[in-house]
Amino acid sequence: MTPFSPNALCFGEEFPAAGAPCLVQIESDGLTVTYEPAVSTSPSEHVLFTGLAVSAGGLDYDHLVLKWGEQAQARTLYLKHPDLIRAFREAAPDHLSQPFEQAAERVRQVRRRHRATWGTVAGSILAVALGLWFGADLLVEMAVSRMPVEWEQKLGEAAYKDFLSHQDVMKEGPAVKAVEEMTQRLVEQIPDNPYKFQVTVVKSDIVNAFALPGGYVVVFTGLMKKADSGEEVAGVLGHELNHVLQRHGLERIVKSMGVMAAVAIIVGDQQGLIGLMRQVGVELLTLKFDRAQETEADLTGLQLVYRAKIDPNGMITFFQKLAEKDEGRVEWLSTHPMSSARADRLKAELAALPKRTPEPFTFEWSAVQGVLGVQPVATP
Amino acid sequence: MKSEILYPGAFPMVRIELAAGEHLKAESGAMVASSPTIDVESKMEGGFLGALSRKLLTGEKFFFQTLRASRGPGEVLLAPTVPGEIVLLDLDGVNEYMVQKDGFLAGAEGINIESKMQSLSRGLLGGEGFFILKIGGKGMLALNSFGAIHKIELRPDQEYIVDNSHLVAWSATTSYNIEKAASGWVASFTSGEGLVCRFRGPGIVYIQSRNPGGFGSWIRQFIPVSE
Repeated sequence: MTPFSPNALCFGEEFPAAGAPCLVQIESDGLTVTYEPAVSTSPSEHVLFTGLAVSAGGLDYDHLVLKWGEQAQARTLYLKHPDLIRAFREAAPDHLSQPFEQAAERVRQVRRRHRATWGTVAGSILAVALGLWFGADLLVEMAVSRMPVEWEQKLGEAAYKDFLSHQDVMKEGPAVKAVEEMTQRLVEQIPDNPYKFQVTVVKSDIVNAFALPGGYVVVFTGLMKKADSGEEVAGVLGHELNHVLQRHGLERIVKSMGVMAAVAIIVGDQQGLIGLMRQVGVELLTLKFDRAQETEADLTGLQLVYRAKIDPNGMITFFQKLAEKDEGRVEWLSTHPMSSARADRLKAELAALPKRTPEPFTFEWSAVQGVLGVQPVATP
Repeated sequence: MKSEILYPGAFPMVRIELAAGEHLKAESGAMVASSPTIDVESKMEGGFLGALSRKLLTGEKFFFQTLRASRGPGEVLLAPTVPGEIVLLDLDGVNEYMVQKDGFLAGAEGINIESKMQSLSRGLLGGEGFFILKIGGKGMLALNSFGAIHKIELRPDQEYIVDNSHLVAWSATTSYNIEKAASGWVASFTSGEGLVCRFRGPGIVYIQSRNPGGFGSWIRQFIPVSE
């Protein structure tokens, strides 16, 4: 006996609920359905095309459903195999092909709808992701503008104290006096200043200066030694003060916290969020500003210096000095991406401003540098 | 291959006798004990990508274990992780079952397993996730449930309503729609049923007498909160 290999399921009164496996053969005038010997009393039955009703069924409407008979003799046949469905389509007479096409159309509709919904979902996920990616700057700005200055000061103060505790702070002397004078002249020119600026001179050979959120500014003596005039240092100060005024530090924190918070939310790690808050302190000291922020601080710094009647050329010459390649690697370069283009932009900006006679500082720069230990160089 | 269920009820096991050379697929970690003639192999069903998609999409295990009677006939004992009944089905090559992701325990070598994406509404609301297993082929298939397994037999066009979190498996010839349990949204959720599946025959629907998610939230109240 050849093994029985069914290709369809038949449902009816006396068949098991899971359906009786059966072998369907398509013929010219109808189909022959052969049942497994144990299931049915009549081993096979021949059904004419005229007695058939056609529809689509199953979980995804991917079965061809054929119905015939009435009452107790009612049969429902589920065909799945594509070859069998194709054979049926070719053999079916005209009066069946219309319902067949309707059933096929229904299957296509269901599939199209699935594709459309999944497409829409994928599209909207993509749109949200893109929106967040490109709208992030706007969101950051909105978040930052809502934060009160007091928060910023607390944030900056903690990091500032922490930083100064391991540094050699210069408390008095001509260098401190000179920096205080510059700061005062600059700050006087800031309208509606919400910050109480605090500038500290730190003994270190690093050629750098940095600003923390809330108005805490640190100038290293290395930078003051490098500068050839008070105006050059004032230029750097103008730049740093504007990082504070434009709240650049806060922007960076919100941005990096946003990324970390998003990661923490996705990973679902609450411990991570606590660590994240601690991370903020570290973040403050390793704060780096991006190029757009640097440019903004440059331009607004230049305007501030100009309003304070300090010679803006000092700022430009100092930047040029740092941009010169033969100067070797200068620390300022690493945190402040330097290029001659930056100095050029400042020059162009300055040219657009009306000429003004600068007022000199009250201190003697060579005296300040003498205190810092710079040997006077004979001017050429 | 001969199989029987030992200790039917909440903590059953399946004993499967394998002739020499026969093998079966089982959920990773399902083997309890076996004859020394049986080798356990780990196999990525459907190749690496198939296994990866099954793991990522259905949450099923990345590897199925293959238990092969390579050194002569022997028997294996298999058990699921959760307490609950096991049902043995004999697939005839025509019947196909959709199985929710935790329902598969073991299958004979002639059984095919693939992951299948559901439609958006079924995936989102059906309670089985977007991807389910579609199991067809020929031979023995063992399904496991959380709680007892109940079999619902549906005649052509007969309908039945099932709470979506109680589904274990259903024939491919049935179809279902997701509906609210009551006529209004508020009543649907306050009745505790939320969404239900309206199944339409013909075919068979296997349901479990306990809801794993419901059990999880019930047991959560007894777990001491750390920190």
